[in-house]
This record gives sequence, structure tokens and C-alpha cells, in this order.
Amino acid sequence: MELCWRYSSGAAMERFCLGLRERRIEALRCDRCGRRQLPPRPMCGDCRARMSSWVRVADQGALVAWTIVHVPAMDGRTGRPRGVPYAMGLVRLDGADTTLNHFLRMPEATQPPLALGARVRAVWRADRRGAIDDIVHFEVMP
Amino acid sequence: MVEQSVSLPFRYAVGGAGVFFDELRDHGRLLGSCCGRCRRVACPARAFCVACGEATPATVDVGPAGTLLSWTSLASADYGLVALDGADGALVHRLLGPRDRWRSGLRVHAQLGAHRVGSILDIAGFRAEQP
Amino acid sequence: MRSVAVIGTGQTMHASRRDDVSQPELVREAAAAALLDAELAPRDVDAVLLSNMELFEGRAFPELWVGEGAFGAGKPCLKVATGGTSGTSAGIAAFHQVASGMFDVVLVVGFEKHSEGHTQTGMALTDPLWDRSVASGAVGNFALSISEYMAERGVSERQAAMVAVKARKNAANNPHAHLKNARVSIEDVLASRMLAHPVRLLDMCPQSDGACAIVVASGDVAKRRCARPAWVRAAVTRHDRPYLGDLDRRLATMRTLRDAAHTAYRQAAIGDPLRDLDVAEIYEPVSYAELAWYEALGLCQDGEAGRLIEEGVTSMQGALPVNPSGGVLSTNPVGASGVIRIAEAALQIHGRAGARQVADARTALATGYGVYAWADVVVLAGAP
Repeated sequence: MELCWRYSSGAAMERFCLGLRERRIEALRCDRCGRRQLPPRPMCGDCRARMSSWVRVADQGALVAWTIVHVPAMDGRTGRPRGVPYAMGLVRLDGADTTLNHFLRMPEATQPPLALGARVRAVWRADRRGAIDDIVHFEVMP
Repeated sequence: MVEQSVSLPFRYAVGGAGVFFDELRDHGRLLGSCCGRCRRVACPARAFCVACGEATPATVDVGPAGTLLSWTSLASADYGLVALDGADGALVHRLLGPRDRWRSGLRVHAQLGAHRVGSILDIAGFRAEQP
Repeated sequence: MRSVAVIGTGQTMHASRRDDVSQPELVREAAAAALLDAELAPRDVDAVLLSNMELFEGRAFPELWVGEGAFGAGKPCLKVATGGTSGTSAGIAAFHQVASGMFDVVLVVGFEKHSEGHTQTGMALTDPLWDRSVASGAVGNFALSISEYMAERGVSERQAAMVAVKARKNAANNPHAHLKNARVSIEDVLASRMLAHPVRLLDMCPQSDGACAIVVASGDVAKRRCARPAWVRAAVTRHDRPYLGDLDRRLATMRTLRDAAHTAYRQAAIGDPLRDLDVAEIYEPVSYAELAWYEALGLCQDGEAGRLIEEGVTSMQGALPVNPSGGVLSTNPVGASGVIRIAEAALQIHGRAGARQVADARTALATGYGVYAWADVVVLAGAP
């Protein structure tokens, strides 16, 4: 079965995605609980309040969790399986309260192993098109 | 807008309907299943009665002729609901031949493909019986 | 609201492939077995609920094709598709239908035929704007939360391996289980292939073909028809936000499961779950999950899950046997797995769990889990 979809992103994601093209990351902050949420979405799930306060988020932060995956999974963007092994992390970007799950640059054998709390930063694609994978992965900062 | 395209492979077990596909492929015959309890005949044959839920009905020959109950025309092809002789219910399939012949009550006959593989499309379609 | 009980169960012999049956036939096997167990005929069923993750088999609206296999023709027949909680949520929906007074007997059938699809179809449940590009599949996404949990709560790979060993050994007592191995050791688990750090092959659930059905009945029908009904004392569902990153310290907090359990225990007058429960069937897709669920379910204090497994508290000989069936770790047709939890808990109350029976089981827990933090908690008991 060949399946093709085209999804409209909605206003909040549209602003977020256009920002990614400019290497700009923005979150929406709930005015009730103060939580700065990525990805941005129109409502705060906990408070059930509309969110409209945009805040700037850095493209670097702290590594909260990580894994190295050996099981092939399909890349939704390309429709092809991702090469293994690859590393994934949960990153709390400076300026956001939620964490972002994204790829991590695989640690080289000579580098220290992935450590919780390590500072990581985004590695951006040269040809950005306004999508979450305009960030290729996060790398541990020296 | 975000666009994506993926190719997902599937493989489905035919289970009790296997006998229908095998018979169609190997002998060009249409098989129905006759329920031992309520006597309803379903075509294609299947492993349990759809009306009363009883298991393992017996197989019986049905068709290959039948009566056209209803039909429609699309740009690409004509389709009909055919009540096969000996079966209850109807089979949806393609209709072959001049479009102006189709009417409810018309007698039709299954036309089989020359090269059959064990698929519902081993029936190429239904053609009006000659008067 | 009136009382509700599970009065019959049925399930297939779960396997990696059931090429001998089509999907409707697979469903019919479990449905017919459950009706036989309840000594009811198809005409006695007022409504049918199916539980299935549609896209896994590439066929939307499964109840259209498969419903007649569950004797659903001519009746209300609806489907629940909520990830791993599909089966427990379908069971809870049936409880609501009967408790409402509008239906006396509801049949629930959960099923999945993973062999007919491909694991990659799971990517369709990720949201297309964000997660789909950065998702790493069921194993990867779960594994991602584990490093944080281990650092905070101090559980070890060895303790997780103990959970896996318990599951495989328990499954050897269960004729329906997909994976069973009475001789597997902790070292076997620790030596097995790494799937996604730290989850190894033997830490992980299989993908199974299988179906499981339960018959849910009103109190009047249950008293007339069933010698030892499994009465529904509590049924609670909690859902949470859509992104993995929304759920801080997900495994350590698991606020949905915690809250659902807290509410269910109150409904069922359970004060101390370790003392008041006799048996538990909990939804553990990965060995580490069971450790996190011990804490979220209040079976121990936070940080004590490792001690619980090491001391054998949750083994068949322990104070609270967890997953005598072998759990999801041993059998996982996703749409059926939640129904299996309820069915296995009911079998314990019915006293018909065979070699996996916990003696004098009078109060049983059944839970469901789905991405990323969806939770169901059900309490069944020998008295209404």
C-alpha cells in the first residue's frame, strides 16, 4: 500500500516551522502556569487555556535522557529506514520547560560517553525548509 | 503544509477462504459455503456463516451464471451486484460489454481470465448471457 | 449505577504467525471460546466492542470486516483504538455500557495480527508535524525514558533482567502464551542483543498474532449464569499530553497511572495495595516498565522497585504475584493485550487459571499502558 499524505500544520506550528528556517526556535508560554511548551500548540493541556505568548528558546540546552537504537525504524520524512545504530536524546533547551526528543550525534569511541546533564547544541541543516528535522541532530558541546 | 509518502507492505492470510481461491485458480469453479444450521449459502466461501455464526460450513458449487440486481457506471468501468445461481446475497464485480445492456434482472455469466493466480480478479467480470 | 461482572473469557493460542486464519476467523476463535466459557449463545449478546490498532494491519474500520467474526452482525459494534490501552479501554467501555442499564451482556474482543503488517506502520501513530521525523519506534521511544529513570531511582539492568526472567518462567505455566522459557537466566537476558540502550532483546515484548475476548454482564445475569463472577469494583482511565517531551521524568512520575490507581483504590476500598491485592496483571511492554509501575501503583515507595523484584515479592511465591500469565513481555498482540490483562485477572477470580492460579485470589488488579502515558486501572473482586 502506497500512502501519501499532506497535512496542514495550523498557525502555531506554522510560525514555529518558519522560524526553524531562520534557525529560530520559539515556544508558547501558558499565561496561567507559566510552562513554556515545545512544540507550540494552541492550548495548554493542563490549564485548558489558550496560549498566545511566544518566547524565544535557545538552540542549546541540557541532555536529560538518551538511548542508542539498534533497531531500524522508518524515517517519516524520507519514507526509508534509518541506518543503525543511531542515538536519540531528550533535550531541555534553554528557555523551554518541556523536553525535545531528537537525534544525537553518535559518540565517537574516543569521546566521553553520553552523560545526563551534558550541554548539547543543535546542528542545523544547510538546506532548511521549515521542519523539525532542519536540525540534523544535537551534539555534545566541548 | 507537510507532505509525506510511505510504502507499507502487508501480507494477509486468507484462512478459510483459501478453498475458494484454490478452486477458482485450479478448476475455474466458483465455490460457496452452505451453513449446516441455517442453510444460507455465501459466495465467496468462508469459514463461518455470516448470518448465524456457525463454523465450518460445507462448500457447494455456485454460478457461474447469475442475475444482475443492480449496476453503476464509472468513467473507468461498469460495476454490478450479481446474485449468483445457488448463492444468497450478491457479489460485487466488474461488468464487461456494451454499457447499454445493463438492467436489473438481466442474466449474466462469469468470464474467467486465461491466466489465474488465486484472486477474486481471476474472474475478469460478468458478461450478459446471449439471448 | 448497577453492578457489572466479567463472566467468561476466551483467547487464542498466541503465536508469531497465525497463517491458518484470516482476521475475522482469528477473532471468532476468541469470541466463540468466551461465549462457551460463559455458557451463552451469540443471540444473548447485546453489543460488541472490538479493540485493534487499525493501521498495523493496513485496514481502517476493522469492525466492518471483522465484526461478524465477533457475532456483531445486527448489533451495535464499535471499535476502540487507543494504542496499548485499546484492550483495557474497550473493557472499560463495556463496563460502562452494562452499568448504564442499556445493555445486559457485552462481548469485548481485542485482536492484532502483527504478522500481516509491518512494524513500520507504527510510525503512523506519530503526529506528522513533529514526532514522525524524530520518532525512533516503539523500542527507541520507550528506551529513551529509561536512562533518566535509572539515574533517578537507582534501578539496575540486572533488576530489569529479573523481571524478564519472572515473565518468561510464568509464561511456561500459560498454554496461551507466545514466548515461554522456564530455563532462561538473568545472564541470558544480559547477554541478549541490545535493541536500544538499555533494552535488550529479552527485556522486550514480542509482536504476536492473537485475540482475546471477555463477556461482561450485569449483576442479575452474572448471578444467574456464573458460579464465581469477577465483579468490577473500579475502572479508571487517564490520558495525558501528546508529546514525549511534555512528560517530565515520565517513568518516575507516570502521573496518569498514579492518579488512575489512586482513584481506583479509593473506589474499590483498597488501603494498601500490596496487602489488599491478591494478584496483579499489569501492562509492561519492557522489563523496566514493570519496575516503574511498581512505584506508580503504590506497591512500594519510590526508589524501592528494585528491592521488590530482588526480594521476590512479585514472584508466584511472593506476597503479590505480578503477571502470572507472563504478561505483555510474553504475549503481545497489541489490540488484545489489554483484554488479556482483564481476562487473566478475571480467570484468577473465577478460580480457573490452571497452573498459573494464585490460591484464594479474591481481589485482582489489571492495568493498561499506551504511548506515551495513557493508563487504565481496573480492580476485579470475588464479591460485588
